[in-house]
Amino acid sequence: MKTRIIAKLDVKPPYVVKPVHFEGLRKIGKPSEMAKKYYEQGADEVMYIDIVSSLYQREMITEDIEKTARELFVPFGVGGAVRSVEDFSKLFHKGADKVAINTYAVQEDKQIIRQAAEIFGNQAVVVNIEAKKWDNNWECYTDCGRIQSGLDVIVWAKEVESLGAGEILLQSVDKDGRNRGFDLELCRKVVESVNIPVVVASGAGSLEDIKEVIEYARPSGVAIASLLHYDKTTINDIKIYLRKHNIKVSR
Amino acid sequence: MSNIIGIVNYGIAGNVHSIKKAIEKAGGETLVINVPEEFNMVSKIVLPGVGSFKDAMEELENDGFIDVLKENKKPILGICLGMQILSTIGFEYGKTKGLGFIQAEVRPMLVDAKVPHVGFNTINVVNTNEILNGLENDEFYFMHSYEVINYTNIVSLTEYGQHTFVSAIKINNIFGVQFHPEKSREAGIKLFKNFINYKGE
Repeated sequence: MKTRIIAKLDVKPPYVVKPVHFEGLRKIGKPSEMAKKYYEQGADEVMYIDIVSSLYQREMITEDIEKTARELFVPFGVGGAVRSVEDFSKLFHKGADKVAINTYAVQEDKQIIRQAAEIFGNQAVVVNIEAKKWDNNWECYTDCGRIQSGLDVIVWAKEVESLGAGEILLQSVDKDGRNRGFDLELCRKVVESVNIPVVVASGAGSLEDIKEVIEYARPSGVAIASLLHYDKTTINDIKIYLRKHNIKVSR
Repeated sequence: MSNIIGIVNYGIAGNVHSIKKAIEKAGGETLVINVPEEFNMVSKIVLPGVGSFKDAMEELENDGFIDVLKENKKPILGICLGMQILSTIGFEYGKTKGLGFIQAEVRPMLVDAKVPHVGFNTINVVNTNEILNGLENDEFYFMHSYEVINYTNIVSLTEYGQHTFVSAIKINNIFGVQFHPEKSREAGIKLFKNFINYKGE
């Protein structure tokens, strides 16, 4: 299987921002323009995460989502502040192909995963897991790495699979925004504990980091943010590099 | 003669808009079909599909689309679930009758790999045809957990997890693709161009 290379946009409307360790934000650009750039570079998917709406308990601003979807001819995932089946529906109508959920499912009602999967198909339901390491275990966090849940990541990953999630987006609270490599053990453990695709994020600081996590954890996809945002590399360069190291990626 | 591509809008098929956008990018004219009467206004039909086989058939029934589809003689392109429901029968959430254009069953993918099958994968055209012309070994985006089991109408095959499955079918002027051309970059736009230029049989 070809590993998907996904461009991830962390958005504080109307800007893509770079969160450092899920705190402190730096403005980078407009989501629609950046998404188009990554599409043209060969991104297999674009993932748009509104990182503030959940925390501020407000509705997602969908204007930018619609605008971003317009230029893309690859799948477009959207997440952040999804609290109901109606929210899923609204985002699909704005052009999302999949919708990611975290906080509401962890804190309020996990059955929303099942309900959404039955209506929209499991391929359209992504569960976003924010993991933080404690000794040799990982705990699920919500609200962009701010709130503890007491829930074990591996237990939760298996549970969301049985509830009908079609994919897991795995982020690491410890590694996010630091550009110093992935939490390899976390990635491998989650990939091995479920039969649904797992996309790993948080930590790509170099081409070697991406290669390393693919070889070690065999995720279905790798989501990359700041490494791309500052034009340190392009999606195309990443793919050329991976192909050179015998990792299958799409053209 | 006009060449309007009708996109059947039924249930919660969320990909109607992205299909419309891709066909327009390919230079085609589109009409989103909301009621059966609108079939008369188009020359070709795209059948999208998101959700389950059972829901899709129920929604088509509720919207009054089943009879008009069965009697239809215009070229059809079924996409993903829209391809699957061209089959005689589906086994997603129970046993459900499909549109029955092709002798086929829709069953869960039995593979030694992660399901759903998500991502770009290569198609291998085994029977050349108008829709996949020039795309014989291209990559398309897949996103599915079920597959069409058919032996007689195969036009392309794809490999996943040591398993080969049917990725496109054709019978007369009816085509079905398991992948999403609207999500497959330039290759997908090219497929829509082929469908726009298709003259029928």
